[in-house]
Amino acid sequence: MASSVTVIGRTTRVRGRLSGDGDLQIEGLVVGEVVTSGNVTIDAHGIVGANVRGRRLVIRGAVQGDLLGEEAVVLEDGARVVGDVRAPRVAIAHGALMRGAVQTGDDGAAQPVVRAQASAKPALAPPRVVAPQARANAVAVVKPPAPIAKSASSISSGPAAAPRRPPPPVVPVLKKTKGQVLKKKER
Amino acid sequence: MASTVIGAGIIIEGEITTDEDVVVQGTVRGKVTAKEAVTIQQGATVEADVIGGGLVVAGTLTGNITASDRVDLQAGARVVGNVKAARVTIADGAQFKGNVDMDV
Repeated sequence: MASSVTVIGRTTRVRGRLSGDGDLQIEGLVVGEVVTSGNVTIDAHGIVGANVRGRRLVIRGAVQGDLLGEEAVVLEDGARVVGDVRAPRVAIAHGALMRGAVQTGDDGAAQPVVRAQASAKPALAPPRVVAPQARANAVAVVKPPAPIAKSASSISSGPAAAPRRPPPPVVPVLKKTKGQVLKKKER
Repeated sequence: MASTVIGAGIIIEGEITTDEDVVVQGTVRGKVTAKEAVTIQQGATVEADVIGGGLVVAGTLTGNITASDRVDLQAGARVVGNVKAARVTIADGAQFKGNVDMDV
């Protein structure tokens, strides 16, 4: 009961809020806030278009929204994140793309995230950036442009012209589903 | 086939659309649209209209059901809403209030 795992399958689309206890595995599309006390895994096929909050977040898919991990946030190879990341421990693996502010450390959860300015400097990130200690400054770690863009719809305009500004991670357009959009019900 | 599982303790407020099986153990409010089987297990609460290929209910469901194949209300189920399906079974011990519309 307590250890039940929720799976949002590949062809599943959820429009609305997803909350509660227990672990989540997202392989489909979720447009709506995700809040759980358990761990959240966003699969390589998973797309989330809202903030995600959980104990330990492991991202291999696309997220457009802020990530808040009470324990850790791990962006693995293939992750595409546009949004701020906040957790005591944050790991960004080689091959993960993100744009947004990062704040690590135990005090991270309490403080509001200051949005990174345009000076998103490409840090020479080691394959795995793990910051066990609290870091005072929010550091935006942006990887150089990936040699092959993951998404088909990526537009790599002038990669040679502006090497200091890598193209933003491509997050698939979320609103192209033809189904009728849920009428907002307040309950 | 891979399926979608809404675990116990999870609450979804919104719309779920899928081409695969859905198993609900938690709570869903909104709407559920599936092409395959939808199973609402014991302890689950669904306050939503449910459209699916087949439907098995052992939990609590408030909302209208439309199934292309069959609907089985099992013992312990508690359903309030209308049921429209080719075949409908209601087990002894299931609570049900609503209309049944079968292909007659």
